Amino acid sequence: MRVVIAEDVMLTREGIARLLQDAGIDVCAAVGDAAALLRAVGATQPDAAIVDIRMPPTHTDEGLAAAQQIRASHPDVGVLILSQYIEPHYAMRLLDEHPERTGYLLKERIFDVANLIDALRRLADGETVVDPTIVARLFARKRHADPLDQLSDREREVLALVAEGLSNQAIATSLFITERTVEAHVKQIFQKLGLNADPGSHRRVLAVLAYLRRPG
Amino acid sequence: MSRALPASANVAALARVVAGLAGTVVAVGAVAVAEGPARATTYAGSSATGAALTLAAGLGLITAGLVISLGRRPSRTGDLALLAGSCWFAPALAAWRGGPPLVLSIATVAAGFTFPFILHLVLTHPADRVGSKPARALTALVYAEALIAGAVLALFRDPYYDSSCLANCTVNSFLVRSLPSLAHVAEISDRWFTAAAATALIAVCAWRLVRASWPARQRLLLVYLPAMVFAAAVIARAAALQRVIFEDPFNPALSAIFAAGSVAITLLAAGLISGVVRARAERQAVAEITANLNQASAAGWLQSALAAALRDPGIQIAFWLPGRQCYVNASGQAVPDPSTESGRVVTRLTRNERTIAVISHSGAVPAIESQIGPAIRLGLENERLQAESLAELEELRTSRARIVETADSERRRLERNLHDGAQQRLLALSYDIRVACAAAHADGDAETEMALGDAAGTMQGILGELRDLAHGIYPAVLAEAGIGPALATLADTAPLPVQVLCAECGRYPAPIEAAAYFAVAEAVDDAARRGADHAAVSVAHDGGRLVVTVEDNGSGDASSMVAAADRVGALGGSLTARSAGTAVCRAEIPCASS
Repeated sequence: MRVVIAEDVMLTREGIARLLQDAGIDVCAAVGDAAALLRAVGATQPDAAIVDIRMPPTHTDEGLAAAQQIRASHPDVGVLILSQYIEPHYAMRLLDEHPERTGYLLKERIFDVANLIDALRRLADGETVVDPTIVARLFARKRHADPLDQLSDREREVLALVAEGLSNQAIATSLFITERTVEAHVKQIFQKLGLNADPGSHRRVLAVLAYLRRPG
Repeated sequence: MSRALPASANVAALARVVAGLAGTVVAVGAVAVAEGPARATTYAGSSATGAALTLAAGLGLITAGLVISLGRRPSRTGDLALLAGSCWFAPALAAWRGGPPLVLSIATVAAGFTFPFILHLVLTHPADRVGSKPARALTALVYAEALIAGAVLALFRDPYYDSSCLANCTVNSFLVRSLPSLAHVAEISDRWFTAAAATALIAVCAWRLVRASWPARQRLLLVYLPAMVFAAAVIARAAALQRVIFEDPFNPALSAIFAAGSVAITLLAAGLISGVVRARAERQAVAEITANLNQASAAGWLQSALAAALRDPGIQIAFWLPGRQCYVNASGQAVPDPSTESGRVVTRLTRNERTIAVISHSGAVPAIESQIGPAIRLGLENERLQAESLAELEELRTSRARIVETADSERRRLERNLHDGAQQRLLALSYDIRVACAAAHADGDAETEMALGDAAGTMQGILGELRDLAHGIYPAVLAEAGIGPALATLADTAPLPVQVLCAECGRYPAPIEAAAYFAVAEAVDDAARRGADHAAVSVAHDGGRLVVTVEDNGSGDASSMVAAADRVGALGGSLTARSAGTAVCRAEIPCASS
């Protein structure tokens, strides 16, 4: 797997690069700002880009803007946003436009290399990865007239794990149920949310989006 | 000019009426003469038009003089108009063949003073005094010359020996000694001096017109334009007389010049009268302001009332605040020094020898300070005091806003420093621990691996706490995404369920967003403190105000929310918290628009 890293703090950038290289991932470029990131992505066509949300010059949301640009111009390149904010707003800004191959993780999460590599794999599979803290926060939100109200507690649990980017097998393991049961739950969730089997869309991603978008 | 006592004022008014009547008698007499014995020797006698022109101009001046004199403020302008009007008929009277010698002699001398009186009259307009030094010098010079020429001609000109004589060619009661050549020189030099003075008069009028503001110029033109035409006629007459032996009223050029001069004087008199009428209407309107003074409430009422009364929409009243060494308007806002504005006239109004207000106006209304009576001055003094306290309030408000703004930018700076400094270094440290942990794992050192694993877990906790701290200091999302997303996060992390209804969650200026956000944060904290089990937040934009309400079902009194109230107050808004059944905290913050 080939990855580009964009992070303005040198220590963190090097750390992530070494971590990935140790795990056998090819780091094609490690850059410090959004412009260099866009150039590197164009030149190397990686599988994924790991992007810090806050980069020069204004240190606000350059990373987010660059991520949107990459998703628009290179649909095959996955983007994983790293942030120190638990802000559903930022995650939604990114996911709303290009839900597939997009992820939003808290920065400290990535030093758990297994977690990071799993997230990158999910992105490569065309899925969405959202930090568990954000998923938990969205779960806790009180919803009104929400299709998710029809879901059973178990189905919500499964959907939350789908949103975090877990595979059916991983969900089965973490909930101590069989994979077949997970598949049944997922099918039920799709049905309740009115997501028909449409070859053009990724139903898992749509389910996550339905989950993340709060009405009102 | 000081105001005369009522008794002497009555006497003076009577004297002016008598003078006016006398002038009219002179006029009638002069026309009778012109229509009789002087038919061939005067302009008035030369044709019906000549008679009408003479009458219109002279009686016009006399009427203007009476109208001005009989007003509340008798003035020099009125007296000069009476004198000029009377002298206007002197040439006709002087041509009274067979008339009483003394009358003829006096008329001959008086005719020489027509021009000085008219010049003086024009120059005293509109301020009722000549004003500038050059104009005063010109007036004095013209009078002096007229006196000298008049004296020389009266004492040494024997009409009988005057070759250019046409009208009164026989009688001079004042003759001391006949010196024909001296008289001739005096007559010619007087004529050319007068022409030169007329040129100077045109120059002064033009200069005043150029200098005046547009509204003032419109008023001045009514008098100065005919005056300039008359002066031109005087010059043309001097030039025309140079070519003829005597002033023949049937000479086409001369009679045309006379007609132009007469029409100009008639218009000048009309201009004077219209000015008086207008001034009277304005004085009346200003007086009416006094009657409505007790209704004056809004700041700046007097300025608009004066602007309407004086028909000068550009009128500006400024108050000097000695404490802060600046001018302010009635609302207490600082304004530039009125005297630095070009094209405006500045009048200082004083009361008890203190400047209470400075009025910047077009200058069209002469003697504006005399029109503004004690009652209006009292009203202005009132407005000045009000403006002073408004200015102080405004300064206090901006200073409060500045303090809050400074504190906010300090908060933002802290948040950034935490994010870019401590948080990044802890992340790096966290990475190092994990690397060491992995190394320990590889070495099979289970004890170290566990210790490092614990350290990594602790580090996660610290990072989480630091993130919460930074968010509490100033939520980055508030600055970057506005009140809506910031409130959503606030609701997510609140210790109780919070429902956010965000009808108008667009972007607003940063201080407004911060005030609204921190008001909600404080109210939600307070709701949790009082044991509420839910809270509802709503944000709406209502008539130029951002209205934020937080309702909860907690028990006990809502806190006074001092910090939030200070923030909201610093932006000129208000915050109320009441608890009757449900506690409602409502903040209203003025804002232009979303």
